[in-house]
Amino acid sequence: MPTSSNNEVLMELSGVRKTFGTIEVLHGIDLQITKGSHAVIFGPSGSGKSTVLRCMNLLEEPDVGSIKFLGNEYGPGSGRKEDGKRGKSIDLRRKVGMVFQQFNLFPHLSAIDNLALPYRAVRGGSVHEAQERAAHELNKVGLLKFAANYPSQLSGGQQQRVAIARALSLDPELMLFDEPTSALDPELVGEVLAVMRELAETGMTMVVVTHEMNFAREIGDLNVFMEAGNIVATGGSDFFENCTNQRAQEFIGSVL
Amino acid sequence: MMRREEEGVAPINFMWHLVWDFKWDLLKGLLTAVNVSIAALILSMVIGMLFALARMSRFKVFSIFASVYVNIFRGIPALVSVIWVYFGWSLLFGHNFTVYQAGVIALTLLYSSFFCEIFRSALQAIHKGQREAGMALGLTRGRIFRSIMLPQATKIAIPNIGSMYIGMIKDTSTFAIIGMVEVVRVTQNLNSTYFQPFVLYTAAAGLYVVIAFLVDFIFRNAELNFSYPPQGRLAKFLSRKKKKRIEGLMKST
Ligand SMILES: Nc1ncnc2c1ncn2[C@@H]1O[C@H](COP(=O)(O)OP(=O)(O)OP(=O)(O)O)[C@@H](O)[C@H]1O
Ligand SMILES: [Mg+2]
Repeated sequence: MPTSSNNEVLMELSGVRKTFGTIEVLHGIDLQITKGSHAVIFGPSGSGKSTVLRCMNLLEEPDVGSIKFLGNEYGPGSGRKEDGKRGKSIDLRRKVGMVFQQFNLFPHLSAIDNLALPYRAVRGGSVHEAQERAAHELNKVGLLKFAANYPSQLSGGQQQRVAIARALSLDPELMLFDEPTSALDPELVGEVLAVMRELAETGMTMVVVTHEMNFAREIGDLNVFMEAGNIVATGGSDFFENCTNQRAQEFIGSVL
Repeated sequence: MMRREEEGVAPINFMWHLVWDFKWDLLKGLLTAVNVSIAALILSMVIGMLFALARMSRFKVFSIFASVYVNIFRGIPALVSVIWVYFGWSLLFGHNFTVYQAGVIALTLLYSSFFCEIFRSALQAIHKGQREAGMALGLTRGRIFRSIMLPQATKIAIPNIGSMYIGMIKDTSTFAIIGMVEVVRVTQNLNSTYFQPFVLYTAAAGLYVVIAFLVDFIFRNAELNFSYPPQGRLAKFLSRKKKKRIEGLMKST
């Protein structure tokens, strides 16, 4: 796997805390994502993996701490509108793609329009330009011939590939994946992982929450083990061989 | 058994030809009812959607206002509403609405409260992942509403909009009381001349039933056209050009 050629930090979380109601679910997360790296986050259910990921594109706003991305700082209150103009968070989201466990395609739009509508909303231009770009992205995930299909006419694996293409069509700097294969039948997992593997090879910066340990081992150059709202252990590509944290070892043993 | 004549009661003589003789008056009455109810339908849907948004707003003032409005107006009968608008308003403010305006306003006041609830539940039925996907793609709130929430909510709401509309057209019958020449008023007028209540009100009922069937047909069709992928003929026809364009793109990519 190509690791980052330089060590430029693309996104940095410092002391991120998040509370739902009265329960704090993230107790101060520090994490640096270098450009071109592939981070894998894993850990038991409820440990806060999704919440970390959702903070990274400000779907959840941290209560404490900061997120630095491309020279801007985001923190508590950044989702609010400032001086009557668009909130800053929208600029971040346009550069950070997200793929959800449940795909979240727009059911009322064909595959191609699932890409073209957001593309046009963000970039402007004509419907034709947007669809051209959409067709190009669908082709890259091998789904061009399903361009006119609606999500209900696609298998889970195909839907997830469309969702990945949709995020990629906006030229993100960073791609977030929240258990992208967990909702899929086992025989469909492979095709989605293949697309992700290819994407990783192009040097895209990725943060992946997954329980697919073989895949994690393959692409993960930063491995993060979370438990109960904390990052308990981190390591590089050799993490799975040389990890000394007992809880992480136990967890890896239990899912493998 | 005594015969009716011996009782001094007039023999039953159904003058069905009256329906044919006065078909244009009846149909004109129906047209008025349809006109008023369609105008009110459009207004109620727009206002109802605004109230639905207000009701779901995170600003308490809006949501409280909307829920008070809904709870008041969905409880008022159309007859009371129209008298209040037509007579009450002019007494209070010295401004007279025409009969037509009063009817539209009366229905809109009532039905916007129903549509508020219909749209609110439709919007809430949409999986929250849809909004989140829109946000994650960097779409604005307005865009998410217009292009993602509204089309999906409309599809969910269509059957309910249809049955609301049937209710609205039936409620126009109460507007006879302010002198609107709709179906019931026409029937009343003819009846006072010919005293044929059975014939005339059967005809009136028939007209309402025909409209209800028609509305049901239209909304079923709309539902088909709004399903994913679109099933109706209209949607298929409209999407032909789109399909061709996609096919063109598939070749050129
Ligand atoms: N919107 C919310 N409101 C209240 N509590 C929440 C919310 N989202 C998450 N939580 C809680 O925060 C904690 C962390 O949740 P999170 O979804 O981040 O875990 P996770 O590691 O992704 O788990 P899983 O593997 O099950 O997806 C859990 O205890 C969860 O119940
Ligand atoms: Mg999760």
